[in-house]
Amino acid sequence: MKEGAFITLTNGFKDKLFRLAKRLLVSNEEAEDATQEVLLKLWKNKSKMAEYKNVEAFAMTMTKNYCYDKLKAKETGNLKIVHSNYKDERPSLQRELEARDSLDWVGKIMDSLPEQQRMIIQLRDIEQYNNAEIADMLGLNETAVRVALSRGRKKIRVELLKKHNYGVV
Amino acid sequence: MELSNIEKLLEKYFEGETTVSEEKELKVYFTRETVPSHLEKYKDLFQYFSEESTITATKDLKLNTSSRKSRYAWMGIAASIALIAGIFLTNMPPNPDETLGTYEDPEIALQETKKILNMVSQLMNEGKQELVYLNEFESTTEKLTK
Repeated sequence: MKEGAFITLTNGFKDKLFRLAKRLLVSNEEAEDATQEVLLKLWKNKSKMAEYKNVEAFAMTMTKNYCYDKLKAKETGNLKIVHSNYKDERPSLQRELEARDSLDWVGKIMDSLPEQQRMIIQLRDIEQYNNAEIADMLGLNETAVRVALSRGRKKIRVELLKKHNYGVV
Repeated sequence: MELSNIEKLLEKYFEGETTVSEEKELKVYFTRETVPSHLEKYKDLFQYFSEESTITATKDLKLNTSSRKSRYAWMGIAASIALIAGIFLTNMPPNPDETLGTYEDPEIALQETKKILNMVSQLMNEGKQELVYLNEFESTTEKLTK
């Protein structure tokens, strides 16, 4: 496979890899690195590419594993990935900013979920894969995916209701 | 879409039982401008989802050009071949064509062997004659030990 063909093939799902990595690792830079790393690995093994029945799903699985490794490495090193975007927490005056803020809340709620639920919601609600595809990518069965999905969504709902009722999470 | 329908879909959604296309409907519904107030809280959620799906990676993929790597690899191989060839070519002594003659007939071979052995023993005896004076030592030591 030529470089150009590889790039056009991976461009189709590169952003999905990035978003999944970002969901797990939170930091933009780390997610970029993860995406690069996964694509490079894929490029090195391009001779085996024909054997994979679904390159995209395979790449997603690679990304997941890579991120898990990263997270584990951080944990053992007593470092936690803390996403710090230092932001002015004053109530914003403009409506647009307010809307942006409340969307950020959803992001924060999502990032507080356990990794698996977070990943499944990412794959389902944002990337719109179906449960069978997700089960395949994560090495789970479909029921487990559905249960985790439902739990994650309910948790988000609870947090959203709290925020809606009290204005705090 | 009817409100009751949306509410039903939402219930199903939180149970994880909606299909992907039903979720799309929900997304479309909640990204509209006006949503009944009791459903307002879910608006953020679906808006977040549709917004998140537009995030893209900014870095371009850089495949390290494998040509440079392989060029170095070839250089290494060439160098090692040259080295090994050098060692063998300089250290190997020029192999002279030393085919020693052999005899076909066993009789002649026996005679020749005998001749050579005789020569060897003759030379040995000649050498031994030179050692006669060693007896002198023996006789003097015998005097001392008596």
